[in-house]
Amino acid sequence: MLLELNNIFKWVTTGGQRIFLLKDINLQVEQGEFISVMGPSGSGKSTLLNVIGMLDTFDEGEYNFMDESVYSLKEKHRANLYKQYIGFVFQSYHLLDDLTVQENLEMPLIYKKVKGSERKAMVADMLDRFNIVGKKDLFPAQLSGGQQQLVGVARALIANPKLILADEPTGNLNSKQGEEIMELFKQLNEEGVTIIQVTHSEKNAEYGSRIINLLDGRMV
Amino acid sequence: MFKNHLNIAWRTIKKDKLFTFIKIGGFAVGIAACLLIALFIRNEVSYDEHYANKDQIYRVVFQGEVQGEVMKSTHFQLPFADALQSDFPEITKAGKVNTIEIFGAGKRGMRVNGQKENTFEENFVLADQETFDILEIQLQEGNPQTALSRPSSIVMSRSKADKYFPNGDALQQTIFLDNDTSKPYTVTGIMEDVPENSHLDFDFLLPIEDTNQNWTNQNYFTYVLVNPNTDIPALEQKMSLIVEKYIIPAQIKRGRSADFIDVLRTAEYKLQPVTDIYLKSDLKMQDGLKHGDIKFVWLFAAIAIFVLLLAVINFINLSTAKSANRAKEVGLRKTIGAFRNNLVGQFLTESVIFSIISFVLGVVLAWALLPTFNQIAAKNMELPLSAWWFLPILFAAGVLVGILAGLYPAFYLSAFRPVNVLKGTLSVGSKSGRLRSGLVIFQFTTSVILIIGTLIIYRQMDFIVSKELGYDKERVVVLEGTNILGNKMEAFKEQLAELSQVKSVTATNYLPIDGGSRNGNTFMVDGQDDGGRGVPAQKWRVDYDYINTLGIQLKAGRGFSKEFAYDSINSIVINSKMASELGLKDPIGKKLDNNSQIFTIIGVIEDFHFKSLKEDISSLSLVIGKDVGAVSVKLEKGNPAEALASVEQVWNRTIPNQALNYTFLEEEFTQMHADVQRMGSIFNSFALFAILVACLGLFALSAFMVEQRRKEISIRRVLGAPFKNIYQLLTLDFLKLVVISIGIAIPIGWYLMNRWLEGFAYHINIGWEIFSLAALIALGVAIVTISYQSIGAALLKPTKGLRTE
Repeated sequence: MLLELNNIFKWVTTGGQRIFLLKDINLQVEQGEFISVMGPSGSGKSTLLNVIGMLDTFDEGEYNFMDESVYSLKEKHRANLYKQYIGFVFQSYHLLDDLTVQENLEMPLIYKKVKGSERKAMVADMLDRFNIVGKKDLFPAQLSGGQQQLVGVARALIANPKLILADEPTGNLNSKQGEEIMELFKQLNEEGVTIIQVTHSEKNAEYGSRIINLLDGRMV
Repeated sequence: MFKNHLNIAWRTIKKDKLFTFIKIGGFAVGIAACLLIALFIRNEVSYDEHYANKDQIYRVVFQGEVQGEVMKSTHFQLPFADALQSDFPEITKAGKVNTIEIFGAGKRGMRVNGQKENTFEENFVLADQETFDILEIQLQEGNPQTALSRPSSIVMSRSKADKYFPNGDALQQTIFLDNDTSKPYTVTGIMEDVPENSHLDFDFLLPIEDTNQNWTNQNYFTYVLVNPNTDIPALEQKMSLIVEKYIIPAQIKRGRSADFIDVLRTAEYKLQPVTDIYLKSDLKMQDGLKHGDIKFVWLFAAIAIFVLLLAVINFINLSTAKSANRAKEVGLRKTIGAFRNNLVGQFLTESVIFSIISFVLGVVLAWALLPTFNQIAAKNMELPLSAWWFLPILFAAGVLVGILAGLYPAFYLSAFRPVNVLKGTLSVGSKSGRLRSGLVIFQFTTSVILIIGTLIIYRQMDFIVSKELGYDKERVVVLEGTNILGNKMEAFKEQLAELSQVKSVTATNYLPIDGGSRNGNTFMVDGQDDGGRGVPAQKWRVDYDYINTLGIQLKAGRGFSKEFAYDSINSIVINSKMASELGLKDPIGKKLDNNSQIFTIIGVIEDFHFKSLKEDISSLSLVIGKDVGAVSVKLEKGNPAEALASVEQVWNRTIPNQALNYTFLEEEFTQMHADVQRMGSIFNSFALFAILVACLGLFALSAFMVEQRRKEISIRRVLGAPFKNIYQLLTLDFLKLVVISIGIAIPIGWYLMNRWLEGFAYHINIGWEIFSLAALIALGVAIVTISYQSIGAALLKPTKGLRTE
């Protein structure tokens, strides 16, 4: 088991009233799964993803990631955990504008203190694998949306994560580009990477092995 | 990792050029200002630090109270130094120096034997052999033990020796001073040039040939060299014995009253460390030397710190203002694995790089501005670029300031939580808004205080220049070095007076300017017992045309006239101040006793300013006498160049072998206040620096405020807000801060400048118009600065601001 959520609650208090963002979420994710999270706007999809990715906290419940209880971990330890095992892909790519493609890919490795020569090899490998060697010296602004997202996925993958969290990865792409990214995910999943994606599109959701539907913070 | 930091920093610089320019440029300006002030202060405090025994060298100061007023003097009797040396074992050596013109110091015409031309030289000083040792004068040639021990010796500086004897054979050559071939001087030594930062500046040393061993005439500075670890206060106390042992008997012998003696008994000697002479001397000492002012040193140090602070604040402000743009970066970096300390490191590196670039630019800027600054400050300073410590210290300072300035932005920025940034719920800037407002207020308060200071200094200078002085300084030419005329003086004066362009001529060096002769005398109303204290007053030796040449107004009685033979013997003209000090309601015809010499008052003149306006007009009297150091010529209206040519002709006819040296009384007057003017200019230029830095900051801040509110502005525009509305919205926010700053600055500025003005006996009153003007300037500068941004924003097409969302 890769991760397990038991009775997760998350709320905000406004005007003395609790508004639940997540309500009693129970979820087990096995290694190698490809899960699609669906639901209307404001149903808590992204919040769930952020909680899983440890970018956000929860108020009640139990979350075990690789048999470690996330709730009891200190902030720093928790950060270590997600930095080591989780890669993120965003709807609006979120590449670092000031860095070239190559440098964007290199960044997570630098933070992981991978040695320079090794880093170069890994980056070259990734560029090769995603067929973007020719673009390595370009800045994000010089790439199309699809290409940027390609780099985004490559960056998420480069540190060999166990889990990829993708928040509407095709939301800003046209259908052809979107399809390419989904095919890529499918291929990665077949190679053994666990993926959880949030999506609005039924068609994209079909790529997953399991679909979770959320409504008002609940799983339905 | 570090390479990556460098890379990012470089890209950040390249990406936003205007921003970078302001951030680095503002900082560089601040650093340059700081460097220049530091150089100035370093120069000011370096005076007389070059003596190896500087902790043992002192100048003696005499200090007493006469009629409730503290009097200080640095002039002593001829035998004083010898008495100190023989009576007090703590004093290893005591030497004397004379800088008074009638003794042969100051300006002389000089000529090498065998040549015809005289050259006018200004820096003659009389000194004895002991002074040689005390002031550590280094002889390059000649015998230091005997250089000044014989009469008619002359010691000159290396540069003067090279000037007059380019062959290097100066030693033992003969020199004539003021055309006097009956008294040839022999060069007995070549000394190293006196360092520029010495309180006592001289190119030529002459021996003291005065043999008048009396204890009543005071003409000599006295320096002492004491044993190491001497208890100075105790020694000062012991020195009072001198008064009892030598001075009182001499004064009694002269017939001074018991009351006068009592006053003498309350006087005491002080030892002033040689390193204090330049910066910490009292105006009252009237030593005629050039001085700095420790108050200005502190003031400038404060300004330097403030300018740097302003620049650092800008730096911090601009960094946090930019946080909106960098929040995303922070969030992202965290999600892809950055730890907080990675980010802190990144931002600090960036800050340090910015800082070091600024330091480099700052040094270059300071280097470029230094010649101008030297001119303003009348100094000859250099950046110590080659000193081993200079660049390392600057580098260390760059790193340190970079870290300090970067700390707040670094921790502020790196604390962003990724989820907030990525979700877009973080309202960047609102939290730090108050801090930024505070910093803007601080900057503008400082600027407004400096503006107020600038305005008041300017007004005061204007006041000094246009002040009614009680004499007419216009069209008066002062001919210098006229000692050389000797017995040709009367003929020379007559020839000048005959010129049609000349109104009148007077020969005396007792002029109301710096470098004019001064003395101290005591007058009593004859036959009136005032306790024997008398009134201290100047007694100026002038000639018959003095009063009308200088345009001094007669208040009562008459001026000197050749018709009355006794005028040249015992007539005296006094100023109003002296009449009232003496308590005389109707002074004409009254008799005055000066050192047992009796004078009859024939006239009272209006008070005129013969000292700097920092000081009150004090008692002054005029008598007929000889003092031929200078000749003043009042010109008729008309072309002064022509008139001068005629004067020069007469001079050349009389003295064919020395060029005429002249200056204008008006210039000399301005020169007298040059220190104030200089300090004013320095102050003003640095105030300008500070204001510039503050404006750069405001400019950049308003730019970012506009950027942050771009969406809001666009929405307002879509909803139909007119240009005016948006312009006001953006501008008023900042103006509020400026108005608050003005409110804070006015009382502080008022207080500080009042303190400054108190240093002048004659000064302007600070009125509301100055504050209003300062406020207007500050508001105007702020409005212009902000408008540049807010007009641009208000004219923005709404779709542009919304599209990015």
